[in-house]
Amino acid sequence: MGTTRVLLVALLGLASRPVPAQGQLLVSGSPPPLVVSAATAGSAPVSVTNSSTTYTLALTLGTHKLTGQINAGMPTGTTLSVTLAAPPGATSQGAVALSTTPRDLVTNINLTVASTRSITYQLSATSAAGVVPAQTRTVTLTLTSAP
Amino acid sequence: MRIALGLGIVCSLGGVGVTSAAAQTATQIVTFEVDAINQIAVAGSPSLVISSATAGSAPTSATSSGSTWDITTNQSGAKVTASIGSAMPTGLTLNVSLVAPSGATSAGYKALGTTDTDVVTGITKVNASGLSLVYRLDATTAAGVVSSGTRTVTYTVTGGT
Repeated sequence: MGTTRVLLVALLGLASRPVPAQGQLLVSGSPPPLVVSAATAGSAPVSVTNSSTTYTLALTLGTHKLTGQINAGMPTGTTLSVTLAAPPGATSQGAVALSTTPRDLVTNINLTVASTRSITYQLSATSAAGVVPAQTRTVTLTLTSAP
Repeated sequence: MRIALGLGIVCSLGGVGVTSAAAQTATQIVTFEVDAINQIAVAGSPSLVISSATAGSAPTSATSSGSTWDITTNQSGAKVTASIGSAMPTGLTLNVSLVAPSGATSAGYKALGTTDTDVVTGITKVNASGLSLVYRLDATTAAGVVSSGTRTVTYTVTGGT
């Protein structure tokens, strides 16, 4: 009987824990360098893509969305786009050009189980962009409540 | 017994990943660059035949239009040079003229030899296609009758920074 009372107290303590409003967002790492280095004569340089990384969303309570932004603008004539595959029931916004203001990437997220989906980056450049030496941008993905 | 089972369910929910609001963002570092790109292509296989003259003058030159060329460069100040694989017969001159892309300069008709000749200069960060390319074959009377021959013309885009 004494043991039963201890378990009951433990159960009540866990069940009364505040319900988290938002789930957890994880990424698998950073992608390898994106290098534009080829073109068909007469056409703009060939864009490059990479889909080697993923993101994982844990349980979310309520409807959420994922936004993305970069910490500094891209060089003139270059565009960094990202496509996040949508978890079940959510909606991917497709390829979205990243900028320093948050852009919706996935909307209508309402997960009951954890989900891992692909992240695809695309770098495109116009001929007018010229030669762009290697540089980096920090991409921040943010999960927010979106009722 | 029921109490112990209920506790197990609550713990498993916690393990799925219901977390605090502190874990709402994730970051990735994206490294990128654009290398120097210089690409040129030509289309068409022209044929030139000189077969007439105005009495008292040199044979009438033949021209062949319909060929085109394309270019992509992301550098500044690039140029296109042209050359042929072997020299022309004595008295014959093969010339070429390329229409320049926007902002560049065509050299007009230039006689082709086995060394590179500038045909378009000042090409800067452009992609253009379907630009006209015209060959002209000149012959002196002294060249005489020349049987059919071919020359491979090589175009090179180079020199940009």
